[in-house]
Amino acid sequence: MCLICQKKRRETISLLETLGLLKQKHQTICEQCATQFASITLSCSGCGRQQEHNELCYDCCRWQNQGQLLLTHQALYVYNDAMHDYMQRYKFNGEYALRHVFNRQLIQAVQNIEIDLVVPIPVSQYTLLTRGFNQTLGLFEGLRYQQLLSVSQAKKTDQSRFNRQKRLTRAQPFVIANHTSLSGKSVLLIDDVYTTGRTLYYAAELIYTLGAKNVKSLSLAR
Amino acid sequence: MNNYYGRQIVNPKIASVPAGIIVRPAFISGICQRCGQQQLAPLPNQQFYCLACLSLGRVSSLDVLWSLPEPNAFAHHEMTLTWQGTLTAQQRLVSQALIDTLGAQQEHLVWAVTGAGKTEMMFPVISHALQAKQRVAILSPRVDVIVELAPRIATAFNTTPMAVLYGTQEENYRYTALVLATTHQMLRFKSAFDLLIIDEVDSFPYVNNAMLAYAVKQAKKAESTVIYLTATPTKIMKKRAERREINVSYLPLRFHQHPLPTLNVSLVGRWRKKLPQKLLRQLRQFQKRMQRFLIFVPRVADTLVIYRKISQRFPDMLGDFVHAGDVSRQQKVQNMRDEKIQYLVTTTILERGVTFPGIDVLILGAEEETFSENALVQIAGRVGRDNKRPTGLVRAYVQHINLKVLAAKRQIKLMNRRGATLGGKR
Ligand SMILES: [Zn+2]
Ligand SMILES: [Zn+2]
Ligand SMILES: [Zn+2]
Repeated sequence: MCLICQKKRRETISLLETLGLLKQKHQTICEQCATQFASITLSCSGCGRQQEHNELCYDCCRWQNQGQLLLTHQALYVYNDAMHDYMQRYKFNGEYALRHVFNRQLIQAVQNIEIDLVVPIPVSQYTLLTRGFNQTLGLFEGLRYQQLLSVSQAKKTDQSRFNRQKRLTRAQPFVIANHTSLSGKSVLLIDDVYTTGRTLYYAAELIYTLGAKNVKSLSLAR
Repeated sequence: MNNYYGRQIVNPKIASVPAGIIVRPAFISGICQRCGQQQLAPLPNQQFYCLACLSLGRVSSLDVLWSLPEPNAFAHHEMTLTWQGTLTAQQRLVSQALIDTLGAQQEHLVWAVTGAGKTEMMFPVISHALQAKQRVAILSPRVDVIVELAPRIATAFNTTPMAVLYGTQEENYRYTALVLATTHQMLRFKSAFDLLIIDEVDSFPYVNNAMLAYAVKQAKKAESTVIYLTATPTKIMKKRAERREINVSYLPLRFHQHPLPTLNVSLVGRWRKKLPQKLLRQLRQFQKRMQRFLIFVPRVADTLVIYRKISQRFPDMLGDFVHAGDVSRQQKVQNMRDEKIQYLVTTTILERGVTFPGIDVLILGAEEETFSENALVQIAGRVGRDNKRPTGLVRAYVQHINLKVLAAKRQIKLMNRRGATLGGKR
């Protein structure tokens, strides 16, 4: 059954698959739904946004001018209508079962990046008591990680309610939950969606204070 | 606060509860208290949510249900019937029987041929209920039907506040005596309604759906009246009528007193390979007379293929194709209504609820599984709905005749015979 449209899929196993010569594909969604999502092919080397070339985009130049160490963010998919609908259902309607849709691809993507440890972007206590899950941990289920950050008590308000200007001027939303030394370590921050990058840069700032050598980031969508 | 009257609304456990609100658990031994089903999906930390009623917004073990008892706090003096039309003698009989049922708080099946004017027949009983400060819900399993009914009901009761509810949004809700909604929406109500009218009770997704049956059962008050409307009752409904568990009214005559068009059957070859000569001849006639028509096909994949073949043969005749998953479905149906196009190739989604005056209907592959006996009767009922053109052509093209096609023919004949004895035209 397709996790997105709920339609039954006909499982056609090829001869090679039956003979065990070709690994069976574990697809969670049907082909029709899959074609609605757009993979990012060529992107900005700073934020992973889909564009015609891999040079820094306008926003990343701005980050750099502000003295930020760029995250060299990677995202798997463009935040298009299909991704918007998916996020709406997964995150806002709380359909936790949808975490499986991109899980294998995300794990694969993490394994292709050279890093020492993974740190997820945390969610607030309020979110855990209403939504019931951290959407990022759901997406990356099965991955080993260290929960070094938590949302600071001054409640992290729902980001989607703010316009870009407000989001950019908001103060550091996170605190360090676990003071371990990260000296000489390469850290990967994981998140569900990269919107302005502000959230991830706030998180990176704290990770660097723990002594990390460099901080990269990865998200499902951009 | 009146938004909680007769309702059950999902709220997080941690939300602070206003005084007076009754809080019920969302799950009791794994059974969802909103929809009555046991179909759980896990959340972290031993929490879970209900998969069955997810389309109305998630209910999880982190939630509770808020409600307030229905007080029937309506200003009933403003709720008068503003409808100006008149009922036929037969419609009046049915209408009176419904008012009697309302007095006795029972169940009532109205078995009325398509185009009998079911909606108008309901107006007096709705008016009676509203006058008595009762809360009334008019339901259909199908969104299309609700959208089409809304303006008609609003005109008939134009001083009565009415909430029209469908889809996932909560925004349209306000506390009113009159509610028009999809059956699904009943999951948000609890012991609210004194009178429930369920249109197209035999149609998908209501039929054989335990959750929707539960939804209706808990949305009505313990003492209440339920009226079922259909042109093609299910076997179970017919049995209940035979056993007198439920009151029945028949209305075999259409509002213009003409009988239903009979189902003509033509044997053809493999029409998916090549459009049959008989069909082409019919289409040529339609083109000459500028006759508007629908072509029903069994599968979604057939819609495009058949439409292409027809438009190649008849490039001057404007048409389109439509199916349930079609994003421009509403627009295409509107184009047909506005007479911008002469025909539509469609799946069974247009089998009921939608009216195009003066059309003819062709059915390709009527013997195939997609078309049930009742679906064929409903499709035939698309024809002859206009006072100016009360008859029309219904032709089924089949590769072989089967019992189901014959049963549909017989059902139409039986209704027409019943109608004839009531003095209908022949
Ligand atoms: Zn799908
Ligand atoms: Zn960039
Ligand atoms: Zn439920």
